[in-house]
Amino acid sequence: MFATILQTVLRQVRRHPLYVGLNVFGLALGIGVFLTLTLLVRYEYSFNAALPDVDRLARVDTHWTMPGTPPGEVAGSTFRAMPFLREDFPEIEAGIRFEDTDLQTEREGVFTSFASGLTDPGFFGVFGLKLLHGVPDQALARPDGLVLSERAAIRLFGTTEAMGRTVPINRAGVTVTHTVTGVLARRMTPDFLSDIEMLAPFSSEDVTTRFCFRSWASDCGRIYLKFRRRGDIDAVNARLRDFVIRHAAGAEGDHTAFGVHPEKVYGLSLAKLDEARFRDFHVLYAEDGVDRTVINSIGLMGLLALALACANAVNLATARAGLRAREVAIRKTLGASRRVLFGQFMGEALLVAAIAGVLGLALCEILVPEVASLTGEELVVRYGLVGVVLPLIVLVCGLASGVYPALVLSGYRPAAVLAAARMPSGGRGAARLRDGLVTGQFGIAITIVICMLVINHQTDFMRTADPGYVRDGLLIGSAMPGSDLAAQRRMLDALRAVPGVVTAGFGELAPRPGTKNLGTYSYDGPAGPVNVYLLQDTVGAGYFEVYRPRLLAGRWFDIARGQDDVPSRDDMRTRMANVVVNAGAVSRFGFASPDQAIGKIIRSGGWTTRIIGVIDDVRFESPRQAIYPEIILFDTLAQRPFSEPIPAIRFQGVAEAEMARRLNRAWAGILPDVASDFSSVDARMAAYYSGDERRGRIFTLGAAAALLIACMGLYGLAAFAAARRVHEIGIRKTLGATGRQIVALLLGDFLRPVMVACLLACPVAWVVMRRWLAGFDERIALTPAHFLIAVAGAFAIAILTVLGQTFHLARAEPARALRAE
Amino acid sequence: MLIALSHIQRLYRSDEVETTALLDIELGIEAGEFVAIMGPSGCGKSTLLNILGTIDRPTSGSYSFGGQELTELGEAALAAFRRENLGYVFQSFNLIDELTIEENIELALIYRRMPKAERRRRVAHAMDHVGIAHRARHYPSQLSGGQQQRAAIARAIVGEPRLILADEPTGNLDTENGAQVMDILQRLNDEGATIVMVTHSPSHADLAKRRVDMLDGQVVISVRNAI
Repeated sequence: MFATILQTVLRQVRRHPLYVGLNVFGLALGIGVFLTLTLLVRYEYSFNAALPDVDRLARVDTHWTMPGTPPGEVAGSTFRAMPFLREDFPEIEAGIRFEDTDLQTEREGVFTSFASGLTDPGFFGVFGLKLLHGVPDQALARPDGLVLSERAAIRLFGTTEAMGRTVPINRAGVTVTHTVTGVLARRMTPDFLSDIEMLAPFSSEDVTTRFCFRSWASDCGRIYLKFRRRGDIDAVNARLRDFVIRHAAGAEGDHTAFGVHPEKVYGLSLAKLDEARFRDFHVLYAEDGVDRTVINSIGLMGLLALALACANAVNLATARAGLRAREVAIRKTLGASRRVLFGQFMGEALLVAAIAGVLGLALCEILVPEVASLTGEELVVRYGLVGVVLPLIVLVCGLASGVYPALVLSGYRPAAVLAAARMPSGGRGAARLRDGLVTGQFGIAITIVICMLVINHQTDFMRTADPGYVRDGLLIGSAMPGSDLAAQRRMLDALRAVPGVVTAGFGELAPRPGTKNLGTYSYDGPAGPVNVYLLQDTVGAGYFEVYRPRLLAGRWFDIARGQDDVPSRDDMRTRMANVVVNAGAVSRFGFASPDQAIGKIIRSGGWTTRIIGVIDDVRFESPRQAIYPEIILFDTLAQRPFSEPIPAIRFQGVAEAEMARRLNRAWAGILPDVASDFSSVDARMAAYYSGDERRGRIFTLGAAAALLIACMGLYGLAAFAAARRVHEIGIRKTLGATGRQIVALLLGDFLRPVMVACLLACPVAWVVMRRWLAGFDERIALTPAHFLIAVAGAFAIAILTVLGQTFHLARAEPARALRAE
Repeated sequence: MLIALSHIQRLYRSDEVETTALLDIELGIEAGEFVAIMGPSGCGKSTLLNILGTIDRPTSGSYSFGGQELTELGEAALAAFRRENLGYVFQSFNLIDELTIEENIELALIYRRMPKAERRRRVAHAMDHVGIAHRARHYPSQLSGGQQQRAAIARAIVGEPRLILADEPTGNLDTENGAQVMDILQRLNDEGATIVMVTHSPSHADLAKRRVDMLDGQVVISVRNAI
């Protein structure tokens, strides 16, 4: 039996290479794309899943409810809460503090950055990660301990045998020698710690001096807790409000606490780590968060690619079944039973599906590294999963493409088939099935293409949208550590003296800001006081010329006007300061226009400020995030230093890379022990866009595959229909139809299902994309252009495909066509 | 003279073999004639008919129809010529399975851009003429061979062509149906239609006004039947 099946399939390959090629390669493409995208989706769904006891792990998140700002959840919490949590909740088995940071090694003035975490010695007690070398309990117990990832160990020493070796770590200009006390074993499943290359303990200085260890209102990292039982997480979560009321109010006069009713502005909650990947998408500053809808859409696209390919196989198989009617009739005449014939046709379909499956797997092997480089994920082909999925796909595709033709073919009555002058085509039912499948295929392909166009347009828009300042010709450095007035003045002078620099200035915020200060400001409006939670920035001379924000009303700061300069901390209660606010602040305070805001007084605590200017909103953060209402202070460096200022320069006439090199050299002249990294706005903001860009690329890939599969199907059908209608075309031409009329007739027949597909696809794509775009603060409008391009593209491809098949036929001599049967 | 064929030659070339289907054909047909072409299988009868019908092109020679030289016309002009002047009846009927009998007959008029009402009128008339009006809404597969051939004749005459070409119109029919078809053709000829028919049947050939015998791609005898 198998030999017969193999022989028949081989004969088909020889006699109908186009049909078999389209069938096998279409199916292989669908299977390859499906497998690849399934692996990608599984990767996302397995995030954190392999962390030991992940169902007992949770992160403590903070909830802020501030006036004038929508409430938001932040991935992280003050370290101040840590001892109280351990005290109050016996359900907590262990807990650690964790701060993401970049640690730098310095060798002869060259800095190398490592993605790192500062944490507590109990880290391995909570996360249970395996060490290749070292003892988990002791690895971070020494203050100079250092745990390396395998990759970091190889980068530093060329080997993972790094135990006991020393590494000079530079933090904010101070170099401390650490000793390697552990090397992490590589993990195959992704988690939020996958990118960490170094782990070091907090220094005692960190713990005693840094504000986020002492104040309830400040955070610089995250607390992770391990509970005794899974159910404990929800139980403790329910009691956190009381916890905040008990502890965060603080004693009277304690400026590190909130005072009475802390729960009105502040809350804590537990985020389960096994649910974090998708939940974090809606949490501020949770960088690993991924939109579940997008991941599901990618999975759906894989499924659709497979469905399209299967539909092709079914379509071609039913269309071609008639060609074998005579073979079936003769076999039956010679004694073959219906069951034998059914078995043979099913066997053939399964064999073709199996060949396609093997080719699909090969394609998957090729695609996975490509997708991994597109998405930046460490994606590999997992044969455990593939071993289960692939045979299933082959079985389903084989059955789907085999059952109908096998049933129809094995059921032919030999006498009728042998007597008929024409080959059967499966009748009107099969024709409707074929039309339906073509409609479905093109509907899916067009939907995907519209989505792809919108996603790419939005991604492009985010990159190029006006951020409220001029980003070309701008380079931004690292934050200067500390508050050394003299060093800050020297730094500015040094940067301004670099050839190519037009102007330089300091700001405490920059594109992709690290630390942010927010505070509540109040305006005594006609209807009573209006409180708004404002983002605070302090900028210096030159800032306006460097960033060039748009002034909407009033004026910018003037170094010659003493009142513009921010008062020293001692003078703050006695001297009014002039400030500039952004458009967002103007509307939150309820001013009718920017001009209305000028001269108005706003207060914070005991401090009084007057608005002298309004600038347009400036986007320094993710386009998914709303822009904060903002207040800007001016520091001339006359008496008060900045807190960790970020230098920015505008340059001209020098290539960007060369400019960055010169600036880094100038920086090293002032702060030789601190790494500087002058980089462009695009480079700094890239992380905000990269996720959407990567998913955009995956969509493009999927859309291309879907369209290709749909076209292969249409091409095959057009070829079949053209062949089947040769005779009819001959008759029509004999009756006086011209070649053009014949082409128009065939095109019309094929474009009808494509047109229906367009009518179905457009509303679906519209709904899906409107939902997706709603997730962006700044977004493109859905225009008819997105739809028209996709529809026109689909028509053009369909027309070319059909023309390719029918043009020669329409031009042939009718006598030849009439002889064809 | 309605038709004048002069030095018509038709060669078929495959990769290795060259076959001569027609060799130096000289033939004239007057308007109103009923010509039967006879000869053994493979002698070139159908090829000659195809060339007369302009659905095949001669390799060389000249074909003049009503004084117009057809061998020089392009594809679109030939299509227009067929539309206006020719009607066909084939041995295997060549009706389109997906269209009803009525639609099949109407097809011959559709390419003439004729108003729908006029088309309907002519189709009804043609169906009456051959006696299949009661089968108008049926599909070809629902009809007997004789009925299908009558539908094919209706399609051939619906455009009121100057020339009707019939390629073994009775070849797939039983005696009774064959006789009915010959009756119709004779009646059409009596009404003034010019008919050229290929046939294997000497008795049917005798019903024509002239008989042309072919052998090996050449016309060997052309005789007028005594009627």
